[in-house]
Amino acid sequence: MELPNIFKGDYRLLAIPPLLLVLVSLYFIPQIQMGVDFRGGTLISLTLEQPIDSAALEGQLADEGLDADVKVFDTAVGYKAEIEFPQSDRLLKAEELKDEFEALLPEATNLEIMAGMNGSYRTEYEEKRVEINAVANGMFDLAGTNTRAELIDSVNELEREFGDSYKKVYADYQEAVTAPIKRHVDYTSISVQTVSPMLSTHFIETAINVAILAAVLSAVFVFFFFRAVVPSIAVIVGATCDIIIALGAMGLFGIPFTLPSFAALLMLVGFSLDTDILLTMRMLKRRGDPREKAHDAMKTGLTMSVMAIVAFSVLFVLAVLTHIPTYYEISAVALSGLVGDMFATWGINAVMLLRYAEKRGE
Amino acid sequence: MMEFYKDRKFLFMLLLFALSLAWIYSYPGVSGMILILDLIVFGTLCLFWKEPHIKLSGLVLLVLLALANIALNGMKFGIDFSGGTRIPVILEHSVDQETMNELVQAIKKRVSVLGLTEVKVYALGNTQINVEIPSSDEERIRFIEDVLSHQGVYMGVVDGRIAITGDHIFSTSIVPATAQHLTQSGADWGVSFSVDREGAEQFAKAAYGKADYPVYMYLDRPMDADLFYARARLRESMMEDSGEKETMNALRDALTLDDEDAGVNATIGVYILDDLNKTNATLKARTNSTIAIVSEDISEEYRGMLESAGYTLKEVPWSEIKPEFMRTRTGVLVVNRVEVIGLLSSPVLSAGITSGIPNYNYAITGSVSATEATAKRQEALEKQKSIESILKGGSLPVQISLGSRTTLPASLGEEFLNLSLIGIGSALFIISILIGIRYMNIRATMPIVLISLAELAILLSILGSFTIDLAAMAGIIAAIAVGVDAQIVITDELLKRDKHNIHEKMEHAFAIIKTNVIVASLSMLPLLFSGLVEVIGFAISTILGSLLGYLLSRPAYAAIVEKILGGERGGRE
Repeated sequence: MELPNIFKGDYRLLAIPPLLLVLVSLYFIPQIQMGVDFRGGTLISLTLEQPIDSAALEGQLADEGLDADVKVFDTAVGYKAEIEFPQSDRLLKAEELKDEFEALLPEATNLEIMAGMNGSYRTEYEEKRVEINAVANGMFDLAGTNTRAELIDSVNELEREFGDSYKKVYADYQEAVTAPIKRHVDYTSISVQTVSPMLSTHFIETAINVAILAAVLSAVFVFFFFRAVVPSIAVIVGATCDIIIALGAMGLFGIPFTLPSFAALLMLVGFSLDTDILLTMRMLKRRGDPREKAHDAMKTGLTMSVMAIVAFSVLFVLAVLTHIPTYYEISAVALSGLVGDMFATWGINAVMLLRYAEKRGE
Repeated sequence: MMEFYKDRKFLFMLLLFALSLAWIYSYPGVSGMILILDLIVFGTLCLFWKEPHIKLSGLVLLVLLALANIALNGMKFGIDFSGGTRIPVILEHSVDQETMNELVQAIKKRVSVLGLTEVKVYALGNTQINVEIPSSDEERIRFIEDVLSHQGVYMGVVDGRIAITGDHIFSTSIVPATAQHLTQSGADWGVSFSVDREGAEQFAKAAYGKADYPVYMYLDRPMDADLFYARARLRESMMEDSGEKETMNALRDALTLDDEDAGVNATIGVYILDDLNKTNATLKARTNSTIAIVSEDISEEYRGMLESAGYTLKEVPWSEIKPEFMRTRTGVLVVNRVEVIGLLSSPVLSAGITSGIPNYNYAITGSVSATEATAKRQEALEKQKSIESILKGGSLPVQISLGSRTTLPASLGEEFLNLSLIGIGSALFIISILIGIRYMNIRATMPIVLISLAELAILLSILGSFTIDLAAMAGIIAAIAVGVDAQIVITDELLKRDKHNIHEKMEHAFAIIKTNVIVASLSMLPLLFSGLVEVIGFAISTILGSLLGYLLSRPAYAAIVEKILGGERGGRE
């Protein structure tokens, strides 16, 4: 099998398709949907004996005051349904109240002890109690707990009641979303994944840190390894374009941004740099006609890409058969990125390097 | 074959192989780490030892180890594949890494009490811990949920009366004593805490005039139980300078709880089994649910006797029922610890707080036995932490609540697993065909396929000794391609018609592969250490996949392809 050498002729034209792809991708990136990991909320997955009508269920849930998004799939292992609820305002409110309460608690406790030993602290303690009582009553109202903070003698007792009410808000919320489903749907198994506001914030923060660290580590290594500005920048530009194309595909095809798709993006950084480095090393560290060398590298690089595409296609087929979200998110992102990488490496990176090599050669 | 036995390098590798095998066999828990270590050791050896047969045997031995590990220890799968139940444990507030580790360990301990070794406990972010049980048995899961959500009840007993209970202690006030406080009291460690008015009054009353009495600190003290010891066993635990009578008196003192004010009478009786025959007639369980706590090594005869007296037996390891003693400053023998009934510590009352005047602030202080500075600090910290956790009502430093559980039927998981394994097979098959078409050379294709198979076996063995979850499975399928990439780079380099000799070509190829592995690992490493458990499996398998490509393809290719292709080339030129 002989691959024609696309670098003969005016190779600068090769940069046009990837640049177009990048532009189109930039348009689609804002349309990426955040998955439940990062947005928070509740995702309920059901396995079903019988298919259900998703629109009808959405209607039934809406009648109960639940804003849900229902999807039904026919998979190789039976019917499955995914019901997604957005982050609950009550949970957010409970979270806020808890933060406020915890901020006030140490001082209130301290004042109560002081007031017990020395009467002159009484007024100060009572003032503090008014403040913390207001927060506690907010939580009691939210949980529908039948008590008032003013009736509770010690801060210690108040803390316990507050904690119980907070747990009740959570339990009520889970009950509120699962009970109607139990009533309306006949399922064989249920999985409930609730990502609290705190947890989603944590995921976002960690993901940002990981992304920055991975990017910096890779970039530093590339510069350190080549010790030349133009090739290093070419390699990094190639990888960046690849990630942009993968993100664009996520927006276009509605692949949600979740922890698995995030992991796939990181893998793409590595894979994309791999082909870029293969090309750069063959171009810079060997002698010979640059265009021939680029063509040679392309043969190897494309074989590598094809193998990766095969593996992820298999995973994609598995995802279609089983509808396992983890499989789908990883394979779909990886496939988009691998295709994007072919354009980015051989259209952008190779062109930049050829210009650089031919100028240096003159 | 004969020369193999004489070859020292080969014998050395064989020795390593045997050692690793024994190691994997004896410590199944760390077999994954052992394999990774072996991979690096064999990989490194093959870098320095150039003989083809050595390189080849390194690969073969590694694959054998991997297969042996699967055969001996099996493979662990996440509940998505094995079926089971996941219970999210939600923390009341976010915690730092250290507290999180403590929590995970504490929850593991709680669950392991039930003898469930297959339970998986891991942190999810800094506010949640997941507990996974490979079972969907309703009763069992309820039981575990109960164990998890249980919050301990602290009780301090002075001379048979309740002096303090956990609900009167301000949980935010439980903190390590200040350095100043420690210097003043001459103690090595301390914990201070404050109580509310009711607690202060209760304590003042119970402790009135009881200077130098011990406060028996109980966590979840059983309210209807008796303790039984075999004489020989009890003697083992006695202090050298104390007799049986003094020991029994000390035990009775610690186990008495008869508080009229609080309306509690829950004294735990203590008996010597050997004496029971004499008093057989009088031994009778108080109620029909009274528990007899015994060491699990007592004889059948005693078991029968206790059961016929109406007791429900609770058998525990000797270490849990073994009493620990100490002498107070005034020379009184005091029971310091009996784990099974929740007696965890017995600090002594100082005169200052026994005057009957309500006091809101308390401190428990103590000394340590270690003499060396680091060990001293360590011991002080441990004692301080343990008192803190007793006062807080249990081993958990944070209040928890349970989220909705997820149950995955085993049949569905099995189907997922089968389909995924078929996926691995098909990926391998298609890639082999494509490699065959690309090179049109069976002699170049066969090694690639064989090495991919070897890599797959090692990867499955390593990951299977941790846990293969959905993300890890996706990573394994991806790794098949990643591993093959290294071989493609080498083959392309070797097949190129240029003036370089085979060794230079290999060097070129390995330079590229090495860089690729470093880059691929660097981009995934932050994810590996991120604590994002959902996708760590994916990070591990892709990193391992590229590492394998480097460490395995290097020696194996050097051994196989140089010979085959080298010979082919030589023949043609």
